[in-house]
Amino acid sequence: MTTTKNLGISFCGIEFENPVMLSSSPVSNTAEMVSRAFEAGFGGVVYKSIGSDDVKIVHPSPRMASYDQGPHKLVGLQNVEQTSDRPIRDNFEDLRYLKRTWPTKVVVSSIMGFSKSEWRTLALASEDAGVDMLELNFSCPHMTVEGAGMKVSHAHALVGEFTNIVRNAVKIPILAKLTPNITDITEPAMHAKNGGADGISTINTVAALSGVGLEDHVPLLNVYGKGAMSGYSGPAVKPIGLRCIAQLGLHRELGLPLSGIGGIETWVDVLEYMLCGASTVQITTGVIHYGYRIVEDILEGLSYYAEARGLGSLSEIVGSALPNIVPTDRFDLSRQGVACYDLERCVGCGQCYIVCHDAGGQCLRWDGHARRPVVDEHKCLSCMVCSFVCPISAPPLITYKEAPNKPPVIPPVSV
Amino acid sequence: MEPGFTLAQAVAEASRCLLCHDAPCSTGCPANTAPDVFIRKLRFRNLQGAARAIKERNALGGVCAVVCPTDGLCEMRCVASGIGEPIRIGKIQRFLVEWAWDTHVRPLRAAKPNGRKVAIVGAGPAGLTCAAQLAKGGVHAVVFDKRPEPGGMLVFALPEHRLSRAFVRREIEDIRSLGVEFRCSSPVRGEDDLKRLFEEGFRAVYLATGTWRSARLDLPSHGSPDVIEALAWLEQLKREQQGSRARVRDRTVIVVGGGDTAIDAAVCAKRAGAREVSLLYRRSFLEMPASRKEILSALDEGIHLLLLTQPIEYVVRDGVLEAVRVVRTTLQPADDGDRSRPVPLQGTEHTIPADVVIEAPGLLPADDVAKFSEVALDHNQRIIVRDASGATSRLHVFAGGDAVRGASIVAKAVGDGQRAARAILDQLAAEGRQP
Repeated sequence: MTTTKNLGISFCGIEFENPVMLSSSPVSNTAEMVSRAFEAGFGGVVYKSIGSDDVKIVHPSPRMASYDQGPHKLVGLQNVEQTSDRPIRDNFEDLRYLKRTWPTKVVVSSIMGFSKSEWRTLALASEDAGVDMLELNFSCPHMTVEGAGMKVSHAHALVGEFTNIVRNAVKIPILAKLTPNITDITEPAMHAKNGGADGISTINTVAALSGVGLEDHVPLLNVYGKGAMSGYSGPAVKPIGLRCIAQLGLHRELGLPLSGIGGIETWVDVLEYMLCGASTVQITTGVIHYGYRIVEDILEGLSYYAEARGLGSLSEIVGSALPNIVPTDRFDLSRQGVACYDLERCVGCGQCYIVCHDAGGQCLRWDGHARRPVVDEHKCLSCMVCSFVCPISAPPLITYKEAPNKPPVIPPVSV
Repeated sequence: MEPGFTLAQAVAEASRCLLCHDAPCSTGCPANTAPDVFIRKLRFRNLQGAARAIKERNALGGVCAVVCPTDGLCEMRCVASGIGEPIRIGKIQRFLVEWAWDTHVRPLRAAKPNGRKVAIVGAGPAGLTCAAQLAKGGVHAVVFDKRPEPGGMLVFALPEHRLSRAFVRREIEDIRSLGVEFRCSSPVRGEDDLKRLFEEGFRAVYLATGTWRSARLDLPSHGSPDVIEALAWLEQLKREQQGSRARVRDRTVIVVGGGDTAIDAAVCAKRAGAREVSLLYRRSFLEMPASRKEILSALDEGIHLLLLTQPIEYVVRDGVLEAVRVVRTTLQPADDGDRSRPVPLQGTEHTIPADVVIEAPGLLPADDVAKFSEVALDHNQRIIVRDASGATSRLHVFAGGDAVRGASIVAKAVGDGQRAARAILDQLAAEGRQP
């Protein structure tokens, strides 16, 4: 795989060789780790968040829990990860080493202060270490200190205030990393902009409980008999991430470059974030599940996509989906459709019949002799739940087709 | 025994299940097992309910899961075959039964005794199943068997590599916990014994005495000790009787037959250290009564399959077997639409060296049944039953399993036991209503 040259993108004035970064987390904890990620192909890193040495960091044990679905591991991941537990000196030394060793890669320092002076000091130290950008952590969901982590995003004015302090301290571009655990993510985003931020990264993890022990009644992750509501990530949260990026991308006054985060594992995920307005993306849980090697197929997939679409640059598609995201009252309700069945390829499991019967429009009858569904298109709601459970995909056996002049289907009175 | 699934493997396999509407896997199980029910319960993390769903319908659900030729039954009907491999139903079923044992979940609960008792003769699959179901109906079921422990063929003949004795014992413990009483080393042999049972207050008797005699080839062995009867030898092996393995070790063995017993004998001979084992069968692969799965695994063990080949003479010199004279056959369609008929091909006679021959052409009912003078038998010494319930020519005497149908798979014997138990319970209920 060598044809990655057309994956370059400009973000907040910084040139990236490709849009894929490690996000600030355990996967970007040391320069040794990040070096291996760069070797694998990541275009940049948002280094593990650095706080002041005044707060002693001890990580709970254990610090993560996996949310599994049947045999599928790590559909989601809950964590109570803190800021870096390493001495601040070691981290800045590592950042300096990274920038020196990998001049073409983008190194972003993630910082988190507990006071105005700490924000300023950490920003200055980062710039002094030679990093390309800063990311201000306004979004860690399991902080207990008021005015820190996610609680900054909640107190909108603080977002602007802290951003402004950093803006006045350094010249390098600044990203504000915002939380999805909020009613309207565009509000703190505007405060960040007004404070001088050059871009927004989101989402940080979603506040969650990933499970509860049935024997001991302790929620996951169980730290010696106690659990906590804390950050949840992975494929399960990707739809939330896409929504937040799209909200920011659609905002009329924001107009800042975006870095998309949340559940990215494949090139398809990356493109979806870019189509919703992200210029770069960041990954952690995908690496926790599969290792840095996932970037190989992401870059290859992006290259093939760009080649097939004749893209000169990935920037051409950033935000391309935004004009198609509308409030629900702007749908064309004059057009209706039906579920179409290619029964030649049906194997006869009858799951379509079960779900249509119990959750759809009861438009299917089951021919138990032939073991095939019999469709009454006039009763089809075109809800498509049948297609969600059909085991025949690629290409799907059940597809949506527009039915011209079909009126909306309304169930009659039951008795 | 091959290792069973772990929980993770069972869950992963169950997740491939399409959860069919009126699932074909669950139609036509001879033992009335319903895989769609227990797989769905596993999928929705109701393991206890899944184990109950198996054992409630089939008290030998564990044994069946291990020995049943599922590839020709439930798994053959699996709809997932349409998009890939069928679900490994037997392996999931075995996992759930073993899970219940390991976690001490007792899926079956004893019923309140109703004061009636029924005798079961023969503690093999049919007898065990009938007893379990009668016990669930409140009947005091007493199982008589001439061998020192219950289980019949499962414990005394099936090779350990296919079904371990320890596994069967665990399943029999489940049945015992329902209140079933076992009287082992207690043969019920003749008319007098049968009469005594009724005098003792047993309201009905279920005969499930199995097929414990090997049929023999009609060839003189000239007194050679190296022409062996398959079932007797398998029993010796299972008992780990001294010298049973030595009979084949380092020797060239020919097994004659195409059923499960022949396959078992061939594989056991190979595992006991035979130099070379060939299976001689006079019809073709497709006619072999043994399950396809077992035949293929025998091939994997290095057994040679000599099809369309029929023995015609043992070559014995000074009382020592040296070879088997055989002839090639060709198949002709049978007149009655049954299996095709092998016809020897003139001029193809030849000799195959052999130190040992194991005869496994089929199994016949145990001698004991012939002594129940008022129970009618057919010309093959099988007990004649009037209908699916297993009612015999004699009032209050029922029969089932191999003693009725001839040597067959465990699941069919289980089905027989279930139907007979229902008929006996119905009969007891009807008599209870009489003034």
